[in-house]
Amino acid sequence: MTLTIKNISKLLLCGVFVAGAGCSDFLREEDPSNIAPETFFTVPEDAEAAVYGIYENLRFHGDGTGIFSANFQMLDALSGTAETETGQNSDLNNLYGFQHTGDNLHLSQWWRQLYDGIANANLAIEKIPGIPGLQDAALQKWVGHARFMRAFHYFWLVRLWGDVPLITEPIYTWNDPAVNAARSSAEEVYATIEADLLAAEAAGFPMTDASGLASQVAVKSLLAKVYLTMAGQPLNKGTEYYQKAAAKAKEVIDYANANPAKVALFPSYDDLHNPAKENTLEHIFMIQYAAGIANANYQTYFLPNNTNITASGEVGTTVPTAGFLASYEAGDKRTEEKGFYFKEYFLGGGTGAPTTLNRFYVFKHFDVIANGAPPPGLAGTGNSGLNYPLIRYADVLLVYAEAQNESGGLNVDAYNALKVIRDRANLVTPDIGTFSQSSFREAVWRERWHELSYEGITWFDMIRLGKVYDVESDTFVDFAGASLNGALLSEKHLLLPLPAADFRNNPNLKPNNPGW
Amino acid sequence: MSLQCLIIILIQVMTMQLLIAENVKGQNLKATKISAKVKSRTLEDIFKVIEKNTDYVFVFPTDVKDLDDTFSFHFKNESMENVLLRLGRVARLKFKVVNYTITAAFDENLMLKPEKTPVTRNVAIIVSGTVTDTETSMAIPGVNVLVKGTTIGTSTDADGKFSLEVPDESAVLLFSFIGYQTKEVPVGNQTSITVSLDADITSLQEVVVVGYGTQKKSDLTGSVGTVKSEEIQERQLPSVSQAIAGRIAGVAVSVNSGRPGGQSNVRIRGFSSISTSNNPLYVVDGVIMPVGTQTDGSYSLNNAIDNINPADIASIEVLKDASSTAIYGARGANGVIMITTKRGSSTGGKVTYDMQLSVPTIGPNRVEMLNAREFLATEQLGWDNLKVYDPAGWNPTGGPNGTGSHSSGRQDPQDARAALTNIGTYSLFDADGNPLYDTDWFKESTQNKLSQNHQLSVTGGNKESSYGIYLGFRDDNGLLLNSFLKRYSGRFVMDSQVKPWLKIGGTLGYNNQQENIVDFGTGGLNSVRMITEALPILPVRYPNGAYSHNKNYSASIEGGRNPVDQLLNNSYDLLSRTTLGNMYTNIRLAEGLELRSTIGVNILERERKRYDGRPALQTPTYVNSANERGTARVRSDRETFWSFENYLTYNKRFADIHSLTAMIGTSLQETNIYFFQASSRNFISDFFQTNNIGGAQDFAVDSPPVSSGKARFAFNSYFGRVNYGLLDKYLLTLTGRMDGSSKFGEANKYAFFPSAALAWRISEEPFLKGNNVISNLKLRTSFGQTGNSEISTYSALPTLRVVTGVINNARVLGVATNRLGNSDLKWEKTAQSDIGLELGLFNNRIMIEADVYYRKTTDMLLSAPLPVTSGYETITRNVGSMENKGLEFTLNTENFTSNDFTWRTTFNISINRNKVLKLANPAPIFGVGNPNFTNQTGVIMEGQPVGSFWGLVRLGTWGTDEAAEAAKFGVNTYRGTGKPLLPGDVKYLDVNGDYAINDLDRMIIGNGNPKSFGSFINNLTYKSFDLTLDIQYSYGNDVLNMTKHSGEDRTGLANSYSSVLGAWTPENQNTSIAAVRDSKAGYVSNVDTHWVEDGSFIRGRNVVLGYTLSSAFTERIHLSRARVYVSAQNFFLSTKFSGNDPEVSTYTNPFAQGQTFFDYPKPTIYMFGVSVGL
Repeated sequence: MTLTIKNISKLLLCGVFVAGAGCSDFLREEDPSNIAPETFFTVPEDAEAAVYGIYENLRFHGDGTGIFSANFQMLDALSGTAETETGQNSDLNNLYGFQHTGDNLHLSQWWRQLYDGIANANLAIEKIPGIPGLQDAALQKWVGHARFMRAFHYFWLVRLWGDVPLITEPIYTWNDPAVNAARSSAEEVYATIEADLLAAEAAGFPMTDASGLASQVAVKSLLAKVYLTMAGQPLNKGTEYYQKAAAKAKEVIDYANANPAKVALFPSYDDLHNPAKENTLEHIFMIQYAAGIANANYQTYFLPNNTNITASGEVGTTVPTAGFLASYEAGDKRTEEKGFYFKEYFLGGGTGAPTTLNRFYVFKHFDVIANGAPPPGLAGTGNSGLNYPLIRYADVLLVYAEAQNESGGLNVDAYNALKVIRDRANLVTPDIGTFSQSSFREAVWRERWHELSYEGITWFDMIRLGKVYDVESDTFVDFAGASLNGALLSEKHLLLPLPAADFRNNPNLKPNNPGW
Repeated sequence: MSLQCLIIILIQVMTMQLLIAENVKGQNLKATKISAKVKSRTLEDIFKVIEKNTDYVFVFPTDVKDLDDTFSFHFKNESMENVLLRLGRVARLKFKVVNYTITAAFDENLMLKPEKTPVTRNVAIIVSGTVTDTETSMAIPGVNVLVKGTTIGTSTDADGKFSLEVPDESAVLLFSFIGYQTKEVPVGNQTSITVSLDADITSLQEVVVVGYGTQKKSDLTGSVGTVKSEEIQERQLPSVSQAIAGRIAGVAVSVNSGRPGGQSNVRIRGFSSISTSNNPLYVVDGVIMPVGTQTDGSYSLNNAIDNINPADIASIEVLKDASSTAIYGARGANGVIMITTKRGSSTGGKVTYDMQLSVPTIGPNRVEMLNAREFLATEQLGWDNLKVYDPAGWNPTGGPNGTGSHSSGRQDPQDARAALTNIGTYSLFDADGNPLYDTDWFKESTQNKLSQNHQLSVTGGNKESSYGIYLGFRDDNGLLLNSFLKRYSGRFVMDSQVKPWLKIGGTLGYNNQQENIVDFGTGGLNSVRMITEALPILPVRYPNGAYSHNKNYSASIEGGRNPVDQLLNNSYDLLSRTTLGNMYTNIRLAEGLELRSTIGVNILERERKRYDGRPALQTPTYVNSANERGTARVRSDRETFWSFENYLTYNKRFADIHSLTAMIGTSLQETNIYFFQASSRNFISDFFQTNNIGGAQDFAVDSPPVSSGKARFAFNSYFGRVNYGLLDKYLLTLTGRMDGSSKFGEANKYAFFPSAALAWRISEEPFLKGNNVISNLKLRTSFGQTGNSEISTYSALPTLRVVTGVINNARVLGVATNRLGNSDLKWEKTAQSDIGLELGLFNNRIMIEADVYYRKTTDMLLSAPLPVTSGYETITRNVGSMENKGLEFTLNTENFTSNDFTWRTTFNISINRNKVLKLANPAPIFGVGNPNFTNQTGVIMEGQPVGSFWGLVRLGTWGTDEAAEAAKFGVNTYRGTGKPLLPGDVKYLDVNGDYAINDLDRMIIGNGNPKSFGSFINNLTYKSFDLTLDIQYSYGNDVLNMTKHSGEDRTGLANSYSSVLGAWTPENQNTSIAAVRDSKAGYVSNVDTHWVEDGSFIRGRNVVLGYTLSSAFTERIHLSRARVYVSAQNFFLSTKFSGNDPEVSTYTNPFAQGQTFFDYPKPTIYMFGVSVGL
């Protein structure tokens, strides 16, 4: 009996002992399926992985935003060149009608995703230099990529919201004061963007890079765009920055002229959405997609609502307005069937009888592989891997044309930059001598609207210039007071309201942007 | 004859025998008879007397010889065997007999220790007898028989018989048994006593299971509800939660789907948490059930508790207040559901067999869709209104017949119809333009297929050892085609009193369950949605056997496979295999002191096999795209849980005044979860389903196509409880648990959860005792703290995640930030106070139990929003508080009792009010616990209850006379860009009067939780008939009927609800439904008040009519009992709700109760059952 009790007591004590002495182990936790930041960044490849993690973030453009909408549509909705065929997404509707508030899901997702990318970039910038065994050239390169990406993200932020929190170091704990960061002036943000891009420019990137990573040409192109933007509203840095923009753009153009097999305009508009031409020639920098690996979900939103003409499904929430299409010059190749736009395709999921739609839809981003090739073609895969362009050579040419015209005055190079784009569109460009500075200026703007449509660029041109393209009169009118698709614009619309959740949760963000 | 002794001896030849006190074997010892009367003699003296009168010789060690204790006895012609047995028991001796030599020694197995001081013991009179019930004269097994003032006692056997030694004739026997009044019987000269016990209704000696022990109901200080197995049996339902629905006040069970085994939500006293689980803790046979993965995306799957066969359950106790739940400390905040499974038999072999056959039919209410003619007329009206509502897009002469055309390319429906006339197999119209088909998709999608359920139990054993085998097979066929749940279950239980001080037992159960989840894919064009949206003008199949598809009618229809096609050609097989085992050891260390040690194991293996077959062709010449040629997904999960718990219980009564039960214990628990999944697409045939996932063209369905993951969490706890009773009137319970969880930050792994409770049994006070009216009155109150730890694993740790990057059109690995760490993360705490009153009137024919409670959760675990500029959206931290206050009331009455007729009624009502007191941030929280539909559907806001719906206020429709006011909204309106508001459009409340409808105009517009709910249950018996009528009601619960989005707000893209027949027309302006127009004209669909419906309801949950065959008849066919019955479940539903059923949620999110987007309709089930025992 005593023996039994002893044994039991032993057993019990043992249990307590295991629990007590071993409890630090028993209750210790380690996530076996995710990596802890302090155990990462140990081998050279980790630098690459950290950078790829930032690039991945760009795909947010195509991510869904409620029913029948994706983030990228915010910029097209505000541009006044698009409308929706189905009014189911009230957040998108509100953007189309300039009735958005800080609660709008699209703008809060942009804000969140941009800062998400910045957090990843900050982590990479801080951690990569400490990786043991990383060669200096590799270190420069990968940190350069992280800085390029951080600059791009801040460039979107500062244009959309003006003064924004400038976070340049990683945050590791939630009680870090930087969590409730205050806003920095747009000036400071631009300074960081410029510094990052200059560093990236010197990071030893190849001139072009068909893999999809940023190239030197991409960095220079973005720098040119940044300088051009700084020259305009709201910083209004003027001539000096137009000059800088022109100089940077010219570097790209000179390189293109010297290496036409590396950088050039595509001869055919089809190449703009040809998967085989991704990251080459005209496509200087793109959001990388690959079918089945990372699907390009933005595809369906451009397609005509419920028409059964593709294997992708058709949503039709970004479709060109008739007014904008009519504003193209007669004979513009871009408005011909399957130039930039299309109205003829095939029923039965893209493989059946030909059908003519009642209006034109965007063809620039049309993925034939996913949607289905015309008979006797292949049935579509339903999975698009088509990259989405962020910087095209056409954009750089027009940046140069505009910046040169503003700083040094119209010259042959600037004229030619405009002309090559019009030539491709089968349009006649008046002689250089017929242009005044201001008529050339507007010609370039007009070209930007028509050439760079539905690429998330037009809205930024509008707020940079403080101008709205009036499609009826084919003129540019002041932003404030302009009427865009029936909406009356005012000063406050130049910036978005701060996203409601952050605005309420972070007291240091106050006050909101003017008028909001 | 000597005064001291008189011995008569008969001697026989002895062979070698081994004797212990309990078991003396041998013929010769039996044959040797002794008669003797001894008074106060030492052992040595007694042995001498026996030696003198028989041939036996005693050998004994000094310690026996020197024992100063004295013994008295009176043997009348007793066998030598009995003499030794009785002597041995009293003197703690064991004897070894070799021939005629008897060796005596102290028996270590007998617990009593030699006393320090000499005592006198009597080896005395044997009294035997039978105990019966006064009323029925039936024997009562298990009655405690005790010699008053001593510890001598026994209990009655299966036949109610007992046998006991009493010291002398002055002894008084005490007979006690739960549910009976204790009786005292003086022994006197009697050696045979027959006792009848009177039932005791007043003492409420019901025993209930509480955490780590049992308690008499009368001694309870906390709020505990009980459901008995008979009540579970009344509803033959596959899951435990459905079985307890409506049985206990304060326990809200929302059965949100009609699918067999479909989801239900269990909430005990409201909500305790925002971002962690609000599900109660389940404890089966003392073993905590693991809480593992319970969802697939937004769809809920079964968890461990759903795999318990309800037929195996003996009783369910629900612990509600802090006094009863605090013993489960950090996991008790949402209440605890204790399940006790059926055990073996202590009264010999028993076999029972239960069988039910049932058929599901379309439930009492169903949604009504447009029929073929109505659909065509509505579509035509939509076309006609296109020019009204989108004049800008209208070209009056653009159509092929000069009838006008629209910029969207939408055609005059007449054209589409003409194209489908006289085209052979695929014709939809006759020459006169009349539809050839008028399909009721609801009817076509349902089956009335026989379901069966068989339960067989074999139990056996005796008081010492018992076993039970429980086998179950159920094959439930759901209302929708191809929907089923099959379960094979087996369970073996064993309990054995191995030694007087040692009891062991265990359970081993295995459960194999297979379900087809036919309504998977909420939000998409899934089967249940297409029941509403499939066009009535289409056939299920064309004459050539091909399934129809909505696109067959027109390319402008939204699409969607017809529901029959989906139900038959898609599958989501969920296979769950559960092994549930536990083993306990109960050791009586000393009088009143017991150690219980339990090991529990639960292994849940789950396979998900989902296959989407080729859809019907959209046009006769359509070629399925690569992503439509079959998609297979498999996933395998393994969740392994073990627990090891030890606790000591000490039980003591002092001087009939104080009673004390103290318990202290430790617990270790660990859960490991692992999953693996793979998917592929584009098969050469639908034949393989998920059985040849490598035989596909395309492995890029999901990115990455294969994945796996692992998680582990563990608990280490220490707990204790003291129950003290003074005079059985004043009762005190104190509990505490120190809980440690791996999920929390280093510094906060452990926390302490205390509780205290007091009860006063007023009816035991002299002034009420024996009162004619009040038979029971108890007042109890409790206060305590419990916790919640059901957050995701590793929430305290900062981590990076691996993401898919793309370089060179190939996958590269990236890492990205995932989670900020929070080393301060700790338990969420809920403090609860409770006051309860139990009142029994007229011999407890009327019993009332009422509780009021207040619960306040602090340090609420919340995935709190961070300023996202940090790069992180949320941080799991302890912030915020929430309260629940409520009232529970239960009334049990025996309205009528006579030999032939009884009528009993149960009525309960629960009221809970929830309010969020404080949140982490000033901003209300969206997107937590609610689906996002066209907009945010719910909000969590300070000062408001959780489960609140968020949206616009629909005032109605703009009237013709309001055209000018509507026009002030301009051209870009909530109807779309360039779409001015016109008479017939939806009219919203423009809160700030800015002529824009946006987030500034949204507000709380409803709440999915009921203001009150309960049950009204009647049981009647008349002779051999019994009738149960079970009515459920819910009041004040809103339903956010999001199906109106596609079923009512838009027309022409799919079929609509018949309510659109009441849409706005110039003649019918007093309506909330906008004028019918083709969707291309711009329409309005927002979460708004028109979608919010009053979901109050009264439901006939169950009616059962049974007949028990007479015992005369059953005996003739060698059965102990037999009953047949018929029942109807969900046999009526009274509600204003327009959908199938207002008790609904198609989302798993914790606060999405009442939010529905096409549900699995709840059937009415008709059942026939047989129950026999032998």
